[in-house]
Amino acid sequence: MEPNPYIPKLAKIIQIKEEVRGARPVKTFRTQFLSENGFSFRCGQCAMLSIFGRGESMISISSSPLVEDYLQFSILKMGRVTSSLHDLQEGDIIGVRGPYGNGFPIEKWKGKNLIFIGGGIGIAPMWSVLHTALGKKEDYGKISLIYGARTSNDIVFKEELEELRKKIEVHLSIDVEEPEWKEFVGFVPINVLEKKPSPENAIAVTCGPPIMIKYVIQNLEALGFKDEQIFTTVENKMKCGIGKCGRCNIGLHYVCQDGPVYSWAELKNLPQEY
Amino acid sequence: MQKILRKKSFPQWVKKLESYKIYAPAKNGDVWNYEAVNHSEDIDLDYLNSVLSPKKIIFPQREIFLEFSTSNDGNPEINEVLPEENPSVIFGVRPCDAKALTLTDSVFGGDFDDLYYWRRRDQAILVGLACHNPPSPNCFCLSVNGSPHSKEGLDILMTDLGDRYYVESLTEKGNKLLNLGNKFFEEPKAKDKKDLEKINLASEKKIKRRIKEIKKIPPQLKEMFDSPFWDEEAMSCIRCGICTYLCPTCHCFDISDEVLSSSPIEGKRVRTWDTCQFPDFTMHSSGHNPRPDKASRLRQRILHKFQYFVERYKNYQCTGCGRCISKCPVGIDIIEVLDKVRDYGT
Amino acid sequence: MVNLEDLKKEAKRILEEGKIKYIIGYERSPNGMMSMPAFIKNPEDAERLTWDPSCVYNLTRFLVDEKRRKAKEKKPDTRPVAIVVKGCDSRAVVVLLQEKFINREDVYILGVSCEGAGVVDEKKLTEKLKGKKADKIEFSEKDHFLITSDGEKIKIPAQEILAERCLECRANFPVIYDEVLGEKVERRPEDPFKSIERIESLSKEERWAFWKEQLDKCIRCYACRSVCPMCYCDECVVDTISFAVAADTTAEEKAQKIKWIERSPDSSENFVYHLVRAIHLAGRCIDCGECERACPLDIPVRLLNKKLEKEAKELFDYEVGFDPEKPSLASSFKDDDPEDFIR
Ligand SMILES: Cc1cc2nc3c(=O)[nH]c(=O)nc-3n(C[C@H](O)[C@H](O)[C@H](O)COP(=O)(O)OP(=O)(O)OC[C@H]3O[C@@H](n4cnc5c(N)ncnc54)[C@H](O)[C@@H]3O)c2cc1C
Ligand code: SF4
Ligand code: SF4
Ligand code: SF4
Ligand code: FES
Repeated sequence: MEPNPYIPKLAKIIQIKEEVRGARPVKTFRTQFLSENGFSFRCGQCAMLSIFGRGESMISISSSPLVEDYLQFSILKMGRVTSSLHDLQEGDIIGVRGPYGNGFPIEKWKGKNLIFIGGGIGIAPMWSVLHTALGKKEDYGKISLIYGARTSNDIVFKEELEELRKKIEVHLSIDVEEPEWKEFVGFVPINVLEKKPSPENAIAVTCGPPIMIKYVIQNLEALGFKDEQIFTTVENKMKCGIGKCGRCNIGLHYVCQDGPVYSWAELKNLPQEY
Repeated sequence: MQKILRKKSFPQWVKKLESYKIYAPAKNGDVWNYEAVNHSEDIDLDYLNSVLSPKKIIFPQREIFLEFSTSNDGNPEINEVLPEENPSVIFGVRPCDAKALTLTDSVFGGDFDDLYYWRRRDQAILVGLACHNPPSPNCFCLSVNGSPHSKEGLDILMTDLGDRYYVESLTEKGNKLLNLGNKFFEEPKAKDKKDLEKINLASEKKIKRRIKEIKKIPPQLKEMFDSPFWDEEAMSCIRCGICTYLCPTCHCFDISDEVLSSSPIEGKRVRTWDTCQFPDFTMHSSGHNPRPDKASRLRQRILHKFQYFVERYKNYQCTGCGRCISKCPVGIDIIEVLDKVRDYGT
Repeated sequence: MVNLEDLKKEAKRILEEGKIKYIIGYERSPNGMMSMPAFIKNPEDAERLTWDPSCVYNLTRFLVDEKRRKAKEKKPDTRPVAIVVKGCDSRAVVVLLQEKFINREDVYILGVSCEGAGVVDEKKLTEKLKGKKADKIEFSEKDHFLITSDGEKIKIPAQEILAERCLECRANFPVIYDEVLGEKVERRPEDPFKSIERIESLSKEERWAFWKEQLDKCIRCYACRSVCPMCYCDECVVDTISFAVAADTTAEEKAQKIKWIERSPDSSENFVYHLVRAIHLAGRCIDCGECERACPLDIPVRLLNKKLEKEAKELFDYEVGFDPEKPSLASSFKDDDPEDFIR
């Protein structure tokens, strides 16, 4: 019989890492399916995570498809389901269904310079593609990351970012001054103008809050990036993940199937409802 | 396969179909709806437009997806719940409502098959009744590639010829149903065919409402996305769910967990109808809402039906049943809206 | 008799003066039988306004929208909006004023008289005309409506096609207004609570059976709530999320929002919905009957409100929506209030 797309597979949480504490906490979870047949995915795809009795949430897979032992999710505590996820312990069981969405067209980016521009929890969907590219570094040109958060406390993947500096250019920023902070202070789009990535043979990927994405794209255009060189993700509210419930619909697209990854050239042609 | 069935034989034929679950239009107060019937005599095929289309049988307002509970080791356990195998016959399906199911088919099929939908859909035999008189003053099927005697999506089409029905089987499933009542059917004569043609022609003439030059509408809608027109049109909208819940083509839904016991956890995951007309439909957890006002939500309904769906599935997502017009509490009329759209700026 | 030209003239005048943002009134529908809400901004559009027995809507619902819209405007236009109200509708304005949801200076009230009759029930009229369409519905001499259908003029006694609520109306003339058109024609109902007599006479079991059958039909489109001018809460118990989410609403607050009711349209949830709705309108419902008119499934939801209206009258001698200066039922206390309901 055909698989029932609404039934999640059970998965065990094998590791929980507290990334950010405080008012906007983020935790990173690693999960393993209980049964053999889990799923394979492309970077940029998402999965529906279930806490039975609380509901489901769509979350980007933040690990690279090159990693086969586990799936990784980095989750900002937002409401009903994400709060329950934050209450879990290692060893607990959740439901996972997916993978959903189109993913990044990373095969087409071979030989190009990659610039990742993220804000807040927006680093999660980029983390997968960033690490996939790093895993095959020889296939790509220069890779760099411009990432910002409200405060230094809100920076996700702090330790990993320090490790990352050894391999690629990393520019961090925070929104308002802090005594110990040595890097850029200001919003991410401004930092983009500051760092002036070159559009020459480059692809820019940007994920974060809708308002940040809007200004990052404006500034990338100002720097000479063409619409086809800019990629982003659209995070409309989702329930089914498979193009049926209608919730994520914009124009003729169901973002859960036809997105969430779009080039600015594609996104420009859709109604601005995200 | 084309046959003639005397009206008095109709209940006898239905009696032969006892292995099926039978649905037919039934009246409750002033309101018609499709309900399960137990006695063939109870079927009254002289009915007006039902408030809800037979969509509610194939895609019920509430569907249990799975049950969850807690196992002895404290971990969650889940149980898939699929609809029962239950072959059914739906009598008195209007041609517009049958066509509507072909539209929801394209949504519930595709890359991921919705097993709940298909389990019911595949087991339902649709017996249509051509509309002699338009069941609603707001019928406009002729404008959206339909007609009061359209066969699209039906297994059998019956036409009332006065003392008898002209019965045409259109699929294997339909043939099977006719064969079960073999002895009640007669071969149609030349006069029957002539009567049928006459009635079909007459019934088309009785449909008063039209969307003129509908082909101009999808491209025009595309141009009008940012128009202040939507603010004006939506002023009187009260953001209820009538137009979409009653629409035979609307398919939007919510998924939520219904908890029966919180410790140990036990409950059901269910799908329930939802609609783009409710403000929480698209609202993010942060409070950000991509469709923040009535104007953007009315626009979504109209554009989804007459632009987006056309672009994606090559069909209008409207079969002209007129329900959204008749039942809108403030008189928003999709034909008038589209008329204004077509003529906007000219 | 209300002279329609006077209404149009007055509307034109106030719009020309520029002191009014827009007028919420009625206009003829190009296709339907009943009039529709109209929003008139330009003086030349005042021509579109109408007032006749097909103007069933309680337009005060749109004062709620207006307040919401204004709250979102960066530079709000603070001029009042004008609104056409019947007697019953004017009582809704009174409640909104009493509850301080709106301020008196934010509305300019254009009252119209129901001419001792009332408005038409679309279903009753359709039945009367045997499915034919009425092209025009007018007030005629007292207690009659003049219907034009297929070029033919028919006089129908008002009693036969009046909306149910009009049969029990105690204010067929506006109780509050800045300008009023038409004269007051006294018409007191014999029994303002006649509609609930039958249900009150049933046994508990029969009542349960009646409501179960009715409420099982509900599809939870929430039209009965959405059409109601008193259902203006930002946070309604039936919504899955609160619309009052702000940037500083914490994850905990969202996570802990109690789910009072499931979306499933089954008996238990439908009962909860309808009882909550009715209770939240006790002492506030002015019986415009819009909830029942809006219901696509013909559920007699008005009867629930009506019963509570009667309780308020009998227990507290309280009648809703007559005096904006008086405190609302729920915010008033008298030493001689009966306490039976607590026991
Ligand atoms: C493609 C995509 C990728 C994403 N990736 C990530 C990621 O990698 N990391 C991340 O942190 N976030 C990500 N998000 C965002 C994440 O999905 C949301 O933050 C999350 O779903 C919020 O869910 P919640 O239950 O915690 O919030 P809530 O606001 O509590 O609830 C969300 C929904 O649950 C239902 N619900 C809640 N309360 C009730 C109630 N009382 N009654 C009935 N129903 C209720 C409602 O439908 C509500 O709208 C992503 C989103 C998308 C679309
Ligand atoms: S949009 Fe209206 S007329 Fe068209 S199918 Fe839906 S309910 Fe019927
Ligand atoms: S009109 Fe709205 S409710 Fe209907 S299918 Fe389209 S998005 Fe869904
Ligand atoms: S209007 Fe009728 S169907 Fe809709 S929620 Fe109210 S009672 Fe239910
Ligand atoms: S989440 Fe249901 S259609 Fe995209």
